Amino acid sequence: MRGSVERGWGWGHCASSPLLLWTLLLFAAPFGLLGEKTRQLSLEVIPNWLGPLQNLLHIRAVGTNSTLHYVWSSLGPLAVVMVATNTPHSTLSVNWSRLLSPEPDGGLMVLPKDSIQFSSALVFTRLLEFDSTNVSNTAAKPPGRPYPPYSLADFSWNNITDSLPATLSATFQGHPMNDPTRTFANGSLAFRVQAFSRSSRPAQPPRLLHTADTCQLEVALVGASPRGNHSLFGLEVATLGQGPDCPSMQEQHSIDDEYAPAVFQLDQLLWGSLPAGFAQWRPVAYSQKPGGRESALPCQASPLHPALAYSLPQSPIVRAFFGSQNNFCAFNLTFGASTGPGYWDQHYLSWNAPGCGLPSSGRLVPTSPGHHGSALGAPGLMLLGGGLVLLLHHRKYSEYQSIN
Amino acid sequence: MEEEDEEARALLAGGPDEADRGAPAAPGALPALCDPSRLVHRLLVLLLMCFLGFGSYFCYDNPAALQTQVKRDMQVNTTKFMLLYAWYSWSNVVLCFFGGFLIDRVFGIRWGTIIFSCFVCIGQVVFALGGIFNAFWLMEFGRFVFGIGGESLAVAQNTYAVSWFKGKELNLVFGLQLSMARIGSTVNMNLMGWLYSKIEALLGSAGHTTLGITLMIGGVTCILSLICALALAYLDQRAERILHKEQGKTGEVIKLTDVKDFSLPLWLIFIICVCYYVAVFPFIGLGKVFFTEKFGFSSQAASAINSVVYVISAPMSPVFGLLVDKTGKNIIWVLCAVAATLVSHMMLAFTMWNPWIAMCLLGLSYSLLACALWPMVAFVVPEHQLGTAHGFMQSIQNLGLAIISIIAGMILDSRGYLFLEVFFIACVSLSLLSVVLLYLVNRAQGGNLNYSARQREEIKFSHTE
Repeated sequence: MRGSVERGWGWGHCASSPLLLWTLLLFAAPFGLLGEKTRQLSLEVIPNWLGPLQNLLHIRAVGTNSTLHYVWSSLGPLAVVMVATNTPHSTLSVNWSRLLSPEPDGGLMVLPKDSIQFSSALVFTRLLEFDSTNVSNTAAKPPGRPYPPYSLADFSWNNITDSLPATLSATFQGHPMNDPTRTFANGSLAFRVQAFSRSSRPAQPPRLLHTADTCQLEVALVGASPRGNHSLFGLEVATLGQGPDCPSMQEQHSIDDEYAPAVFQLDQLLWGSLPAGFAQWRPVAYSQKPGGRESALPCQASPLHPALAYSLPQSPIVRAFFGSQNNFCAFNLTFGASTGPGYWDQHYLSWNAPGCGLPSSGRLVPTSPGHHGSALGAPGLMLLGGGLVLLLHHRKYSEYQSIN
Repeated sequence: MEEEDEEARALLAGGPDEADRGAPAAPGALPALCDPSRLVHRLLVLLLMCFLGFGSYFCYDNPAALQTQVKRDMQVNTTKFMLLYAWYSWSNVVLCFFGGFLIDRVFGIRWGTIIFSCFVCIGQVVFALGGIFNAFWLMEFGRFVFGIGGESLAVAQNTYAVSWFKGKELNLVFGLQLSMARIGSTVNMNLMGWLYSKIEALLGSAGHTTLGITLMIGGVTCILSLICALALAYLDQRAERILHKEQGKTGEVIKLTDVKDFSLPLWLIFIICVCYYVAVFPFIGLGKVFFTEKFGFSSQAASAINSVVYVISAPMSPVFGLLVDKTGKNIIWVLCAVAATLVSHMMLAFTMWNPWIAMCLLGLSYSLLACALWPMVAFVVPEHQLGTAHGFMQSIQNLGLAIISIIAGMILDSRGYLFLEVFFIACVSLSLLSVVLLYLVNRAQGGNLNYSARQREEIKFSHTE
């Protein structure tokens, strides 16, 4: 694996090589199945006894009356299938021979089928690169002249079993199979998937709150040589549409930037009109590890648009679960702007997306402002009120004295 | 005192009446513009005085106007960025005591002004060179040198004003000088970002060189100020020759041993001053990014709103000055100003309301506070200690600004703007608490701080009787 396995996640050491990081939080569960404070988690790599090494990671989160399944695979482009069921006993069934065949329909199933309350998928189809030289308008779309994208379907991936299972996480690390220009000679694109048995906040910014219902994805591009001096990278992400419509993309603004300094926005992808599943992320990526304000890059998401299935690299697991009759919608994420810090600084990029999850914005957006408000507003008002009372009191007192 | 009055009379003999007639003076006399005894000439001097401070006020807030650019091009975090403000303040923690002394006893007003202007120029040039050579320590050093000149130059400016305008248009002159300072800050806030982008387009790329050149061009205003200093020195000397006027003196006597005699109300005034200003200036220093990120303002709009405090302060300072003069009741005004600032910070922190509301409120309260707080010092210390008290107040204000600037940068880097705002709110709350305490102490001691203007008149009247 060109030494990348040995390096693992220690990209902090490769200061000379490029890096980019991003995190996403995903959640897949309809109302009624949610709100489990803790879940029984299991991470399992489902082996393919019949053929070559294929990564198929099954995260199963069992609550008292529900089970969430996240199936990640690097078969084809990296993809995740998210399924929420209303029973603690639902199981995943994999038919490898069908899954690896040209017609994989039905190769992946969650049983019993009628317990499924919600299901969707995300496919990370392409790694994009733009030349942002001479682009002064930071809001320009596209953010520069595009280079030919890297298709993630043509990546070769590590064996995730190596990165299991100490911390309920697994890392998919890959590089293009054909790399004539050797841009990935010392680099890799890594997707780190993490699940949580209870709600908490990671130590690294953007520190989005995750719960037992969500899993988190952290994307890091490390050490790949950019094809220009001012290359911007991006990811093309595809998801399943619902009927003719695409899932909706929302920008939430909050007053709280406590966990991601100077980032007041939260981007969300919501599946369905009823709150069902979501992916949410802070629109920020980092060009250094550990991420901090000085290495923060803006992360822009394009609107979702319907995409023709044949124009996207196909994911066998998505087709295996959902069949071939699906509408896809795609959007692009772009990291960085033509000015400011960029991938070129350290050849590092990281992005966090806290996971497949429930659109519980009330829960996920921290409520600390209320605390701050009451903690500080109250004394302020008391001071003011107290001051006025004292003032009036004194006035009365002095008048009384003057009469005497 | 009598001597001084005479001197003033001599200098101001021209008076507006005479000048208004506009008729040429007796044959052989100088044209009005060149005659130090004429109003027209004094207006020329006033113009020079105003521009004397323009450069230093323009350049003081250069870092705030270029916050993102400085941090990006020099690759520094907010904590290090705020050191640029801290270094300015450090030099003034000590220098506040000696500015007056240096002008009176060592250099004289003319040379003092020229020397301080030189410090401002050199400081700005070194600051810019730090950018060109990509050496952040050099930028910090530049700000330190700039600080040595900056604040003392303000003292010199006031001394000139007193020397030329005492007994006439002095308050107006002070007001105009203050307005000019605010205009300098405002122009800076709105000009530097634009200038940077022009230089960037010219050079083809952003980077520390672009930053350095932008700052160097900003330094032209300091040269302008230096030229004003030279011209003023010439005109002042000429006036001395023609009118037999003496060099102006600050008249400040600093005795550090006086500090032990400072009363409790004075200490409370110091606390109010420090806790208040640390929640205003460091906020403005860090404000631009706040407005772009939280409220989605464009860079230009963020600059504009960040400078609105200064914009409001320019015309409102004289108005509030008059208001406080006419009504008295200083403590109540200070209380209003601090409370309004608290409300404004709370709006910025806890709401998504249009920040123009909060910033305008901040601008108004800031102007009101300056007019109501500083004159209170004169009520609580004997006249011979006034210089020491003012010097001390400026000194600890600078100390507070230096320390809080660094802390603010650290908070922002680690906990974000919301926490920073909460911190500022805590500072203002402390200030508010001190105002209430001051009110009570003043009340208990039967002090004169909160007298109305009429009460003050009566007391003055009874004293003269």
